[in-house]
Amino acid sequence: MVPAAPLRGLPLSVRVPLIAAGLMVLVGVVASRQVLVSLDAVQEERLRELARLHVDGLAVALGPSVLRRDVWEVYDTLDRATSALAGQRMVLTVVADEAGRVIAASDPRRAAVDSDLAPLLQAAQAVDEIRLPRGDDPVHVRAELAYQGRAVGQIVSELDVSDLVAERRRAGLYLLAGNALATLVLACGGYLAVRRMLRPVSMLAGHMARTEGVPVAIPAADLPKGDTELARLFQTYNAMSGAVEARAEAERRLAERERFVSLGRLSSSLAHEINNPLGGLLNATDTIRTYADRPEVVREAADLLDRGLRHLRDVSRATLEQNRLDRHGMALTPEDFDDLRLLFSPEVSRLGQVLDWQVAAPAAALAGFPAAAARQIALNLLLNASAAAGNGGRVGLSVRADAEGLVLMIRDSGPGLPEPARLRLMTDAPLQPGGGVGLRLVRDLVAAARGRVEYARWDGVSEITVHLPAGEAPC
Amino acid sequence: MTRFARRTLIAGAAALIAAPGLLRAAEPIRLGLTPVFLDNDAEVIARLRAALGTGSGRAIELVQRRTYQEVTGMLLEGAVDAAWLCGFPFLQHEPALALLGVPVWRGAPLYQSYLIVGRDDPAAALPDLQGGTHAFSDPDSNSGWLITASDLARIGARPEAFFLRTLFAYGHRNVVRAVAGGLTRSGSVDGYVWEALAGVEPGLTAQTRVIGRSEELGFPPFVTRRERVDDPAVTALRGALLGLSGTAEGQAALSLLQLDGVVPGEAALFDGIRARMRDVQAG
Repeated sequence: MVPAAPLRGLPLSVRVPLIAAGLMVLVGVVASRQVLVSLDAVQEERLRELARLHVDGLAVALGPSVLRRDVWEVYDTLDRATSALAGQRMVLTVVADEAGRVIAASDPRRAAVDSDLAPLLQAAQAVDEIRLPRGDDPVHVRAELAYQGRAVGQIVSELDVSDLVAERRRAGLYLLAGNALATLVLACGGYLAVRRMLRPVSMLAGHMARTEGVPVAIPAADLPKGDTELARLFQTYNAMSGAVEARAEAERRLAERERFVSLGRLSSSLAHEINNPLGGLLNATDTIRTYADRPEVVREAADLLDRGLRHLRDVSRATLEQNRLDRHGMALTPEDFDDLRLLFSPEVSRLGQVLDWQVAAPAAALAGFPAAAARQIALNLLLNASAAAGNGGRVGLSVRADAEGLVLMIRDSGPGLPEPARLRLMTDAPLQPGGGVGLRLVRDLVAAARGRVEYARWDGVSEITVHLPAGEAPC
Repeated sequence: MTRFARRTLIAGAAALIAAPGLLRAAEPIRLGLTPVFLDNDAEVIARLRAALGTGSGRAIELVQRRTYQEVTGMLLEGAVDAAWLCGFPFLQHEPALALLGVPVWRGAPLYQSYLIVGRDDPAAALPDLQGGTHAFSDPDSNSGWLITASDLARIGARPEAFFLRTLFAYGHRNVVRAVAGGLTRSGSVDGYVWEALAGVEPGLTAQTRVIGRSEELGFPPFVTRRERVDDPAVTALRGALLGLSGTAEGQAALSLLQLDGVVPGEAALFDGIRARMRDVQAG
């Protein structure tokens, strides 16, 4: 059943009970109608029986008199019958011969002797076809008057059925009032029962409505009892929310691991970055040992040693900074981009790439953004760009502030984002097995910062632009 | 005659073996009644039977029939010992019948015939009723047929031609009912019955209006067969009738009948009726 248009705007927990109540009202109306129809049939059958008895009784009493056309005897019988039944149903009875000429009537003033019966016959119904009138009008009944097996005359009776009509009206009123009350009670009961039955659905809907990103499991105490459809629905919902939570946890752990993964991808470069100075530093220590008596050589070797160790310290610090677990809440600074360049440069060098590094945003503009997210976004996109650009390619980063916030733009000369990578970066499509999570982590971090990611390719250059809107400075 | 002989034989045989008192008790006096009074009133019938029984010292059996003719026939053939008949059948069978007594109504053994119409009928006299419907009481009734028929005869008319339709209601009360109910426009009724009805059923007579009264005529008499005048049963009945006003039971019965008593009466009382009969025969 399609609910009426005005109901469509109502919640299910109201609409279904209202429909149930409406159906009960409909059932009440139909039942009342059926009872009234049955009452009509019973009353009409009763009236037919009364009329039949009346006519048959008169036929027995009047037969010989009608046969003789004895006016007085017919009148006397009718008059005594009327007097004996004073206040009863018979208002008028007219007896006529077989030619339709009135012999006598219980009220001769209404049907005179020898008058024509036809006008009275017109409104009369046969005994077996009597229908109860709607109003208080009397019923006219016609019947043949048989005597000794042959028709000797006709009888037309006017019956007062006002008591039956009043009874029907009264019964109808009582019935309607009773049915209305019963229907009201049933409708209210039905409304409340269905509403109660739908309460778990409302609760489920409420839980789902309250869920912001992550569905929350419904406490066991609130689960419907028994193995009902609703109980299974709740269990399914709880299982689903558990799965979503587990998935979110897995993604969170994956993202956490991604930080190490990105560093892992830099590890060989970083090893070279550490290893390369080590030869010079060892030579410097040999030089110091060999020429310990030559202060100028020792000093020069010590300077070389100092620069090498400082470089190693910077690399170590940048690596540590990238992996610090307590960076949450720290503001972005120009030094963060210096660290990124320090970490990323060995990879660029290893691949023989050209790096275009432009950080134009002032420190004050950067301070409004979280350092951890910005570093992770930039590093992941740079590593992706470097991998895409390949040996001898070009990779670039530009950072600028505009009216909306911070704009990070990463370019590479690679062949462009393949479809799976684009889906991970630009959509929430499920991650395909075997693909990395770096680009999806970028998307999640940007979404968490209420920013947006754009991808463009022109003149053989792929360009990913990240807009991070200005917000409250991280504390 | 066969029944009479058998009864005499039985009575004679019984007289040999039973006491006279027992015989009397076993042989009731049979009195035929016609609707010359309110014969539909069960209490009137019971009181009359009781009073006559006490007065005669015999059991009384009251025999009612629908028509005057039936009762007259029973009287003539001996099925009843006596009868309360109308003056008209009495005169019709005068040679065979003898008077036992004549009731006294309002001080005299006389009464009138009334011509009645519906309460709202504009008719003022018999000629105004021409072409209407008319109810007679009985073809052997003086007040309920003979008077109107003779009135019409005097103007050269006959009931069946003067009226559109006539009917016999076989009872004066029925005539009043027919007119009151509108079955007929007019009716011929015993004035004594109409007046008595006015006392006990005023609602009924109020539906009618008297537009004509006959001269005073002999009241419907109690009669017997002439040859039985001296029969002990008849004698006892005569004594009871004439003595009604002298007993408490008789007074009670007379009170219900609205009569004063019963007097011996004479045939000359009915000369008026006799004259009416002649008029009809002449017409």
